[in-house]
Amino acid sequence: MAELTVENLHLRYGDNPILKGVSMNLDRGEVVSLLGPSGSGKTTLLRAVAGLETPHEGAIRIGERVVFDSAAAIELPAEHRNLGLVFQSYALWPHKTVYDNVAYGLRLRKVPQAEAAERVGQVLAQLGLGPLGARYPHQLSGGQQQRVAIARALVYNPPVILLDEPLSNLDAKLREEARAFLRELIVRLGLSALVVTHDQSEAMAMSDRILLLNNGRIEQQGTPQEMYGSPRTLFVAEFMGSNNRLAGRVAEVRDGRARIEGEGWSLWGTPKGETAPGREVNAVIRIEQVKLGDGPEGNRLRLPLSTSMYLGDKWEHLFRLGATALRAHGTGDLAPGEYWLEFPPDRLWLF
Amino acid sequence: MRASAAETLPRAFTILVTATAVLAPLSLILYQSLLNAPFFDARKAIGLDAYRFIFADPDFWQAFKNSGLIAGGMTLIAVPLGGLLAFVMERTDLSGRGWIEPLLLVPSFVSPMVLSFGYVVAAGPVGFYSVWSRELFGGAPWGIYSILAMTVIAGLTHVPNVYVYASAALKNLGSDVEEAARVAGASPFRVAFSVSLPLIMPSLLFSGVLVFFLGFELFGLPLVLGDPEGILVLSTYLFKLTNKLGTPSYHLMAAVAVCIVAVTFPLVLLQRQLLKGSRKYASIKGKSGRMRELPLGGWKWLAGGVIGAWIFVSVLVPLSGIALRAFVTNWGEGVRLAEVLTLDNFRSVWEEPTMMRGIWNTILIGVVGGLLTVACYTAIGFATHRRNDGWSRFVDYLVLVPRAVPGLLAGLAFLWVFLFFPPLRPLRSTLFSGWLAYSVVWLAYGMRLISSSLLQVSPELEEAARSAGAPRWRVSRDVTLPLIRYGLLGSWLLVFMIFEREYSTAVYLLAPGTEVIGAQLVSLWQGGAIDLVAALSLVNVVLVAVGLGIALRFGVRLRD
Ligand SMILES: Nc1ncnc2c1ncn2[C@@H]1O[C@H](COP(=O)(O)OP(=O)(O)O)[C@@H](O)[C@H]1O
Ligand SMILES: [Mg+2]
Repeated sequence: MAELTVENLHLRYGDNPILKGVSMNLDRGEVVSLLGPSGSGKTTLLRAVAGLETPHEGAIRIGERVVFDSAAAIELPAEHRNLGLVFQSYALWPHKTVYDNVAYGLRLRKVPQAEAAERVGQVLAQLGLGPLGARYPHQLSGGQQQRVAIARALVYNPPVILLDEPLSNLDAKLREEARAFLRELIVRLGLSALVVTHDQSEAMAMSDRILLLNNGRIEQQGTPQEMYGSPRTLFVAEFMGSNNRLAGRVAEVRDGRARIEGEGWSLWGTPKGETAPGREVNAVIRIEQVKLGDGPEGNRLRLPLSTSMYLGDKWEHLFRLGATALRAHGTGDLAPGEYWLEFPPDRLWLF
Repeated sequence: MRASAAETLPRAFTILVTATAVLAPLSLILYQSLLNAPFFDARKAIGLDAYRFIFADPDFWQAFKNSGLIAGGMTLIAVPLGGLLAFVMERTDLSGRGWIEPLLLVPSFVSPMVLSFGYVVAAGPVGFYSVWSRELFGGAPWGIYSILAMTVIAGLTHVPNVYVYASAALKNLGSDVEEAARVAGASPFRVAFSVSLPLIMPSLLFSGVLVFFLGFELFGLPLVLGDPEGILVLSTYLFKLTNKLGTPSYHLMAAVAVCIVAVTFPLVLLQRQLLKGSRKYASIKGKSGRMRELPLGGWKWLAGGVIGAWIFVSVLVPLSGIALRAFVTNWGEGVRLAEVLTLDNFRSVWEEPTMMRGIWNTILIGVVGGLLTVACYTAIGFATHRRNDGWSRFVDYLVLVPRAVPGLLAGLAFLWVFLFFPPLRPLRSTLFSGWLAYSVVWLAYGMRLISSSLLQVSPELEEAARSAGAPRWRVSRDVTLPLIRYGLLGSWLLVFMIFEREYSTAVYLLAPGTEVIGAQLVSLWQGGAIDLVAALSLVNVVLVAVGLGIALRFGVRLRD
């Protein structure tokens, strides 16, 4: 059952369209990531759902409740939407203690003192903040502040919790721990969560489903595996992973495959969408799919090695094809020279 | 967003009260100016007689010309000097800037009436410094009773008005542009005049307009320094009109008032446009955050000298004059200081009940009145906070209107309001009348303080409360208000100082029960009671100094 439904949402600031018809839903117990480059409108969509921005067209439902509908002129103010919202900056109230920050939502809902104390204690404990209730936000570390912000949004059991780049203010090391913690917490408590992020690995790690937003529209949505493994557009392919990219022209099409040619090279790939000989295309392949081969058999090119970089858990080799650099992973160092690179045809996508 | 009645009613009420308090007195002035007799006169009729009369009066045109001359001249003095002081204070490594800064702001906190009086007793024909100079050097080559002297004094004492805006703009300027000029071989003052000051031109222009229209509002200075030579400016012309025709000449005064506002109001609007422009400018230039002080080297003597000379002339001379005069029985050629020292002046104040009431009322209106005023300003602030609708824009303009109305006129207008509406008459002889007029006159200033506090609250803190389920009024009470409480305390202190300093607004509202020091000084000066004026002036300066001391002790920012 959908806890949150957004239909054909349009929003602009002045004359500047930000959301251009976004539709999505969020099912109970699901974690959905809203992924997209910076400036694509993620925060705006989240704020529109929370009631902090007014779209000029579309509808938003929370469970059965219509909270916004431009056609029916319905707009529920933010305070009546009963959502949990975690800001990118955390927005903890500096003049309230951790306890008071978390308890505020309960106080507004007129929950009796004793019960409120119990619930706040419980949620603080769940988030590992047990003994910190009497502190003020500025006395906490970044990670602790983030968890207080989450506790504050969870304490009144909202049907949906919205998180705006919850990890972006943490330093790199902490971010990975917090990512695991957050995923585990959301699943354990059975929450329905919409998480905004601009980091594709974060989105893949944390969510059941990803919505990729580009320029105010949803470019593609699906499970992390679908998004990574079968992107439908060049934008999605480029955004979801690290790739090699070659520009060329289609030479022939046969059996659902197409051969693409460039200056002095030719490879078979899988067209994504319509294609025909003569068309200019981009061939894209994930770096980890490029293999070092031992001979000319298969879909291979012989290329000179230009340099190798040691990355700790693996090596990355840089090859030259005309003006383009191609990258491949390997387990060891390579001597200077020319090597055969294999491009599995079903992994070489043509857009 | 459909707001509930509980949310809209308090806001509508606040806006309505503000609009009434600002517009009723102004409308009354306009109405009165279009009558041919005072509004309480049974024979009044609509007409342009009042304008015809003043336009036919050569004194009016002379006063108009003098106002323009002084306003223009003081702008030419205050803007370059204020800009230069700001440059030295903000961008160079001159030592002692920490304690110089409050001194630079002193003239804007001391009543112009007190300052002018200070110049009379310090540098007038028989002032302390004049007498000493004659004894030591055989001459005192200056005079203070001329248009030139008034212009210079007004220019020097309005330097702080320029200084605050210029230094705020300089703070936003990356120091790399200055360093580039320095490396190219420019001396520090060259850097100031060819790089830094041109870059903050919008702020200088803005403060130039400000000083210019303040020039049209001058009252205390021309009253004290212009009157002896019969030099009139618009406000003193209006003040002297009171009984020109034998009966109260309210219609003539109103016509002059309308003429003054006709000059100042467009300037206020112009200023607003400039402010918008300068904000844009600042945000473009404000990118490079790195700030490095410019080493002055040998130039520090010149910089220190300019600042020292300004402080001497604009702060030390008038204030020391008052301090001395308050403790002597008389002063003149050949008088020995040790022989005339006395405490009698203060004894006279102490024994005069109206004086003591004036002091008490001044404290009351500053402390309690100031608190109430800040509360009212805060309510207005909340009525427009984070709302971008027509009403907010209306209030934005509304609060600017009193800026264009000199205190003297505002006091007059409120007097008429209290006379015109019978239900208000009983309030006329209470301190309430003065408090209301003060609060309206300083509305624009106060709202700047309040909104700069409100602007510092991150919107997300309020939005977090709303999405937690708090209606607007609870967001204000639980989040916004607690977050701006220190800003409000600071505003209270500043409003206290402003109210201690105020004099012209209370001139027409002076009545038994509503005496305040500022207005008493005007009336005592008119009556020639120099000893009392000196003692009361010193009391007034001490009250302001107490406020300033508290502000400095608690690190209240003296400017927004
Ligand atoms: N209050 C605003 N007024 C005008 N434009 C805005 C405002 N807020 C955001 N924008 C613009 O809307 C676009 C989307 O912003 P946002 O939703 O914050 O992007 P994201 O969170 O995906 O980085 C950006 O181009 C931003 O400049
Ligand atoms: Mg964002």
